[in-house]
Amino acid sequence: MIVSDEVSRREGWTNEVFQDLQVKADLGRYRIRGFSTFQRIAHFDDIIFIPRYISGRGVELRPADVSTETVLGTRYARNAISISTPVYITGMSYGALSRSAKTALAKGAAKVGTATCTGDGGMLTEERKYSTTMIYQVNASRYGVTPQDMISGDAVEVVVGQGAKPATGGLLMGQKVSAIIAKKRELPPGIDQRSPTRHPDWLGPDDLGIFIEMLREVTDWRVPVQVKIPACRVKDDVKLAAKAGADGIVIDGMQAGTGASSEVVLDHSGIPTLPGIVLAREALEELGLLKKVYLVASGGIRNGIDAAKAIALGADAVAIGQAAIIALNCNRELPGITDFVREVGVPAGYCTKCHTGKCPVGITTQDPLLEKRLAIDEAAVRVANLLSSMTLEMKLITCALGKRNVHDLTVDDLSALNVEASMMAKVPMVGSGGTLLKSAGRGK
Amino acid sequence: MTERLAGNVPKALSAPVSQGYSIDARKLTTRLLNASIKSGVSKGRYITILNPDARHNLAVGIVKRCSLSFAGSVGYYCCAFCDGISATIEGNSGWGLGDNLMSGSIVIREDAGASVGASMRGGQILVWGNAGARAGISMKGGTLVIAGNSGFLTGFMMQRGRIIVMGGVGDAAGDSMYEGIVYVGGEIGSLGVDAKTESATRSEEVELRAFLKALKFRDDILPRRFRKIVSAKRLYQYDSLEPLERERLVI
Repeated sequence: MIVSDEVSRREGWTNEVFQDLQVKADLGRYRIRGFSTFQRIAHFDDIIFIPRYISGRGVELRPADVSTETVLGTRYARNAISISTPVYITGMSYGALSRSAKTALAKGAAKVGTATCTGDGGMLTEERKYSTTMIYQVNASRYGVTPQDMISGDAVEVVVGQGAKPATGGLLMGQKVSAIIAKKRELPPGIDQRSPTRHPDWLGPDDLGIFIEMLREVTDWRVPVQVKIPACRVKDDVKLAAKAGADGIVIDGMQAGTGASSEVVLDHSGIPTLPGIVLAREALEELGLLKKVYLVASGGIRNGIDAAKAIALGADAVAIGQAAIIALNCNRELPGITDFVREVGVPAGYCTKCHTGKCPVGITTQDPLLEKRLAIDEAAVRVANLLSSMTLEMKLITCALGKRNVHDLTVDDLSALNVEASMMAKVPMVGSGGTLLKSAGRGK
Repeated sequence: MTERLAGNVPKALSAPVSQGYSIDARKLTTRLLNASIKSGVSKGRYITILNPDARHNLAVGIVKRCSLSFAGSVGYYCCAFCDGISATIEGNSGWGLGDNLMSGSIVIREDAGASVGASMRGGQILVWGNAGARAGISMKGGTLVIAGNSGFLTGFMMQRGRIIVMGGVGDAAGDSMYEGIVYVGGEIGSLGVDAKTESATRSEEVELRAFLKALKFRDDILPRRFRKIVSAKRLYQYDSLEPLERERLVI
């Protein structure tokens, strides 16, 4: 009894803090892990939709009546992206993920007519073969980047940074730098690979403008060029990227996932997805470029309701990473196949060991035996099912709000459940009739 | 520098061409100019671009064997993302000349701006003048030759290939390089993180001299000795596994 009283008074000095200090005393360096931030911060669960009854349109709608068709990239590109749902699979590298995982994601996305994105490790032939819409990433590292692959893409994404680990580059630990991955990235096998944070050939906004034009010339102005920005100094960065000529902006909030990052930046840098979207929308509004430059939100989007809320806040589409990985069976015990406790030291549901390369379900590994545990076609069906479920959830909430198109959702449809979320999302606190911070616009 | 060195400046290696013609860049937008170059290239022609006027993004994304000549200076990213190109630039260049070059040859008669040969994966770039900062940054293969001096962060995060600087290099040379070699004939401003110097071996010296003489460098302007900058490989392993992880994850 005395012990529990003492524990309850320890506040910041929890057992986790003790363990953290002890591990660092052993290691002599910062800690590295996968997944995403574990900070408690305002997120999509803290805002809700407010349907109308007598005050609104009395239209009886079915989810099937709701359109989710999404067109991205009408600013400069000759061929805009057209996808059946505003949810697509974000860039995750071949290297962080296994070939089987990347293939399953491409197949799954294609089944529902949405897009995938390559990642910081070059393009896989399977990825291009199976994706109906493939966004080709140009990262600071330029691992595996070729003009031929870029030209084969349906869009190009310039990655300025990642929401999970702003201002730091990717990490791929030696356990995952197999001979094949090393060859693809032109690195020595088995080394702890660290991606640079800055691009090798442009530094500031003026250079970015020239760089974007270069990518357009390489692709003959055929495909959209989007810029992925970690949510930090959002207004400045979004304005500069839009002014530099981007067709679209991807704003990646701090709840975004990663295969490996220092815990320091995972938990203590960047801003959450909610204000990230709102500030990005406001930046585009202030430039008069809202709806001309499309906005994609990513970072901790787990279901169709999160996606719908992101769209209501101003996004034109959302990108999912961690959620798609979970659809591939991440953190799921497979009877007779996996034993999480024995293999990674934690039960299924608690694993964040992506960086170790020992993923028991064959997703974040380069070990051929572990990779075999991922049945590609079954996994593709699960990804397609998740995307379909998310789309249906979006349709359901949209028709509950009396609207026929998911892109008609606006901030007027939202309220916040607490003060933090109200201030971050700039939507009224439920019951208060107002918000402490006024948004620059309504988003549509 | 160029005047002193360029006793016999070579043309870029020639790809098979049927007939040559010129395009006056002043009369065209960048879009139309590049479209004209690509169209000419697809017909296997030798193209001279007149009045490039330091314009950006010229001759980018060409993935066919071809021969180009720029009759003047070019801006940023000239010949970026090309595969098989053979180009000569009769002037200076802005940033990112030969960015992500896959194969082929680029010769520039004067100075190259920052990030020449950034992330190049193959082929050869020959700078007859000086190069700016970050020459050969993130380089993944091929050869970058700089007849003059090279700026700071030469070979930053280099992964493969070789950089030959006949003059000196600036500060933080070879910073965070994984592999590859930076040969330096002159002074080294300072070494970057995890870089170290070694003397070029006798066989390397012989090979380098033969290589440079084949590029028409005169004997009397070749450096007396080359030093090389390579990775000290101290950053190769972070020891990424924590004690408990190591226990659990031993194969």
